[in-house]
Amino acid sequence: MPDVERPEAAIEKRTRLAHEPRGEFDSWWFLLLAVILTIALLMFLKPDPFQRIVLFLRDGIWVTVRITAVSFVFILVVGLIGGLGRLSKSWIIHGLASLYVELIRGIPLLVQLLFLYFAFPQVLDAVGAGLVKLSPSLQGVGQWLIDVKPDPFAMAVAGLTICYGAYMSEIYRAGIQSISKGQMEAARSLGMNYFQAMRFVVLPQAIRVILPPVGNEFVALLKDSSLVSVVAVSDMTRRGREFMSSSFMSLETWSMVALLYLVMTLFASRVVAYIERKTAFAK
Amino acid sequence: MQNEIIVIKGAAKRFGRVEALRGVDLTVQRGEVVVIIGPSGSGKSTLLRCINHLESLDAGTIQVDGISLDHVENINKVRAEVGIVFQQFNLFPHLTALDNVMLAQKVVRKRSREESEKIALEGLKKVGIPEKAKAYPAQLSGGQQQRVAIARALAMQPKIMLFDEPTSALDPEMIKEVLDVMLALAKEGMTMVVVSHEMGFARAAADRIIFMDEGMIVEETTPELLFTAPKHERTKLFLSKILH
Repeated sequence: MPDVERPEAAIEKRTRLAHEPRGEFDSWWFLLLAVILTIALLMFLKPDPFQRIVLFLRDGIWVTVRITAVSFVFILVVGLIGGLGRLSKSWIIHGLASLYVELIRGIPLLVQLLFLYFAFPQVLDAVGAGLVKLSPSLQGVGQWLIDVKPDPFAMAVAGLTICYGAYMSEIYRAGIQSISKGQMEAARSLGMNYFQAMRFVVLPQAIRVILPPVGNEFVALLKDSSLVSVVAVSDMTRRGREFMSSSFMSLETWSMVALLYLVMTLFASRVVAYIERKTAFAK
Repeated sequence: MQNEIIVIKGAAKRFGRVEALRGVDLTVQRGEVVVIIGPSGSGKSTLLRCINHLESLDAGTIQVDGISLDHVENINKVRAEVGIVFQQFNLFPHLTALDNVMLAQKVVRKRSREESEKIALEGLKKVGIPEKAKAYPAQLSGGQQQRVAIARALAMQPKIMLFDEPTSALDPEMIKEVLDVMLALAKEGMTMVVVSHEMGFARAAADRIIFMDEGMIVEETTPELLFTAPKHERTKLFLSKILH
């Protein structure tokens, strides 16, 4: 008889796959620990230059974390809208969502960031000038568009969100499609509307399905956030470049930058694996 | 109060090239139990699903308790009055049995947590599995899952219950426990439309049996007459195949 008091018993009983970790703390935590120890050891044994590097990078670490976290929140929202749009029965909504996904996936993130930061302001200028010419009543808006200066942080977040939102749309779409149609039918037949059925029945199940790919996207985003260093955001990579150009210590600088990224990505993927185990339910 | 609770007129539906329904007229009275039989692909499930608009008609009209199904805003109104039980149960696997029965009460009927829980527990008791309230669907047998599904539909206090081959996905030894629940429901006077080949149930509970073939109603009769004196050749042929 199944253990009714503890539903998680059913999950525990499931046969483990060979690569699946056995306990709460799988062995990959040790790799993270080893990387952290390496950093500590370097800083302890050779304070110059390693302590100097870490101190110099400190602001950049914070920027990288913040830009990744803020972008990720937006990406989750944009991805959900895009994913639902791709599944829409209305051809206009479906078409728009598909166009967004197809276009954005076809352009490298670096190019998107460069366009947003360097080319987009010119577009705004042109639109602003057009508005000023068009009618005196639009002068205020037009002038504002001309005057507005792109904020590097905001542009970086926008760029990452637009790009990763497209990938996330596809993940949401696949996740929602993986839930059997009968679930939506059962919810609707009980009188729930589309959004109630999505929120209470389909999405809670889809989220468990998409958690692994979403976690991968988070780690990828963390790494790709280094690209924002080209658009005047002082993230960890940009700070690394600055330190290197003043000290000429390439090996030390980039080793430390690489180790610090590793700490973040290894930690992030451990957290994802942990959440995955916590949210699993008996199928 | 009028006595006709479901009125279907000239219902037609096609899926691509297949004509699932070809002009079906059917009226169900309040408190009546109607069993629909027929070979697979005869349109019986489609007809049932049209009654709560899981499928939309291409032509014809359906009125449920006086509400016409042609306006979108009416659909949710009708669905709240019509419970449906599916062949594949379609329980929500991420929720316990109790939460399965409570969810729509809270979301659609806007009942409080306490009230929904009370009604849900009563419902689970009624279908004979109060001890499984905290179990997840994956921990239940097929028969238990289907009984939870019935309790989930009943918790909305529907005026009509639809059953779409409720025992077809069950192991033989579990069919009876589900049919017993349905039988009890029929005795209480629930209006029921049941697509099923369970002739025992039809004999015991049905007021009327409808035989469908190729998207049309071929024969409408009582259980006694169906078994003793089927009128149409097709009905006879079908019965000879399912009654061994």
